[in-house]
Amino acid sequence: MAGLINERVKPVGDSPRGTYDARVVQNVRICTDHYRLTLGLGRFPASTPGQFVQIECRGAEGGGSGGGGGNSEFRIQNSELATEYRAIEWGPGLSRPALHDPDFLKATAYLRRPFSIAARRENGGAVEIDIIHRVVGRGTHWMETLERGQEVSVIGPLGKGFRIPEQLELALLVGGGVGIPPMIYLAEAVHRAGKRAVAFVGAQRKDLVPLTISPCSPAASGEGEPVLNATEFADYGFPTVVSTDDGSMGTKGFVTGALRKFIEKLKSNSEFRIQNSELAGVVVYCCGPTPMMKATAKVCAELGVVCQVSLEQPMACGMGTCQSCVVKWRGLDAERLAEGEWKYKLTCTDGPVFDSRELAW
Amino acid sequence: MNSTQIKSEVATPSLAVRIGKMRLANPLMTASGTCGYANEYGDFADLTQFGAFVTKAISKTPRKGNESYRIVETRAGMLNAIGLANIGLEAFLRDKLPLLEKMHVPVIVNVPGWSIEDYVDVAAELDQQAIVQGIELNVSCPNVKNGMSFGTDPVRLHELVAAVKKRVQRCELIVKLSPNVSDVAVTARAAVEAGATCLSLVNTFTAMAVDIEKQRPVLANGTGGLSGPAIKPIAVFMTHRVYTEVAKKHGIPIIGMGGIQTWQDAVEFLLAGATGLAVGTALFIDPNIPNQIAAGLRAYLGRKNLVDINQLIGALQPAQPAA
Repeated sequence: MAGLINERVKPVGDSPRGTYDARVVQNVRICTDHYRLTLGLGRFPASTPGQFVQIECRGAEGGGSGGGGGNSEFRIQNSELATEYRAIEWGPGLSRPALHDPDFLKATAYLRRPFSIAARRENGGAVEIDIIHRVVGRGTHWMETLERGQEVSVIGPLGKGFRIPEQLELALLVGGGVGIPPMIYLAEAVHRAGKRAVAFVGAQRKDLVPLTISPCSPAASGEGEPVLNATEFADYGFPTVVSTDDGSMGTKGFVTGALRKFIEKLKSNSEFRIQNSELAGVVVYCCGPTPMMKATAKVCAELGVVCQVSLEQPMACGMGTCQSCVVKWRGLDAERLAEGEWKYKLTCTDGPVFDSRELAW
Repeated sequence: MNSTQIKSEVATPSLAVRIGKMRLANPLMTASGTCGYANEYGDFADLTQFGAFVTKAISKTPRKGNESYRIVETRAGMLNAIGLANIGLEAFLRDKLPLLEKMHVPVIVNVPGWSIEDYVDVAAELDQQAIVQGIELNVSCPNVKNGMSFGTDPVRLHELVAAVKKRVQRCELIVKLSPNVSDVAVTARAAVEAGATCLSLVNTFTAMAVDIEKQRPVLANGTGGLSGPAIKPIAVFMTHRVYTEVAKKHGIPIIGMGGIQTWQDAVEFLLAGATGLAVGTALFIDPNIPNQIAAGLRAYLGRKNLVDINQLIGALQPAQPAA
């Protein structure tokens, strides 16, 4: 332990995480409200899917003069729905908020904003990471304006990511809205581990699906669901099942409906063994608005499938000090607390990924 | 060797300050509640370069803290209502003190309480720990007996500080003043007369943010403490008021804080009378800010042909009309 401690009081350098200056490589609008921001870093520590970064959403001239308003943005961006449910700044409108307040445009984000890593590419020591975000507030509005070459301060990689157990055979990647991006990074890891996956993505409507869909060439899956070809998952040979609230793409309804049907089918065709009342070899990975994750966890509990969720909670630091991103936790197996008991865990350092059974939510 | 060479070879300006018996390599320290217990920021900043480390508030028994939401961003700052969530004294002594020892910087432990006994018990125990050099009383918590905080009532504050003083022999006794009073000099005087050896100010300002869609407070606690650049000018004023009215004549050092984010902010507090400088909310954005401020202070001293940072403390000149 002593070695570890000494290492941790050393300056930024060899540690598994740190503060880095990144350059904007590309900033592309990928659907109505979403952007894919590619950041280039001279170096960046090893990261895993589900981990996140804290981005300082203002230029060097921004100082500390601005900031303001809502809570919707500085949770790990997982959720367009949550943003709307909890809309503090601009009400429950379905489309891009109208930035009619002239002060809004001048104001800068004070705190950093957390974002899941959507993809990572190595390039001879240098690293590129993709951030897919929806413009919902001051920080993301600033990010929307970023141009190639601009400098961005990044803290990361933060948190504990998704776990890929050795016995995994089939990963079900369930993403809602801005909960989809970490699933793209996870798909790559599942592919690299030589496992199969099916992506289930949900959005309010067609133009809010932050994926590259090729409707003309639906991937053949034989899984019995209407399957679309989303390049982000199809690149790894994984089919995508899309659900939209209004049916404008894929199946009409919530992503949990499609997931339930799929798991029921899996169970009926007996491809996977039932072990300790669990479907062995299948793991559901879920990221999205809290109500959607709770619903997914409930489906998984009913059908006996392990479910890992990546939580979103408002946070200031992301490094375990501000104590704001708390979640009620009751533990699992040997760590299980007595019935009715719970304690707070931090989303930023204990999570953001938890086994859904650990949570008291 | 000519005079030009001599000038260029003058040693870099000294940033060392003393707070009572504590010797700090520079005035920069952390503000309680923004830096965890010990080495949480170890990957993001060289903590060994900090002037001192002030821990999160440590209470007699563990506390879960408030429900979510606990924070909200506001213009140029944020509100927090964490509820003093912490692991409690026993776990702190066992798990965190050994980590603090490895930082090799003076350690100050922040102590909250809901009755005089709460404060006295924790402070007395901490005074026995060689690693701890300072005890900072957080007097802004509501008192369980009447809901009033010790920090807003000079009589109650005097009683509290005097009671703790009896049990704290070795450590510096720092009282962290609440800004939620009409004249901070009144509570500052009460604390000093009761035996405080240092004053730190300001704690956060009680404030509220409203969710206009739900028509409720954003924070689960209703109210929260405002921090960040938004409060800096008030904190500079209060530091100056306490310095001129109380601290200077009693020879009591002040740890100034409230929105410090740049070396320029730090210079303002020093001129206003602060000896120590605590960085709080800004650590959430960059934990290494104290080291950047120290570098900036060194350059400022050099530019002003000063050799010692103590030359700046309380050196504010009288206001005058624009030329």
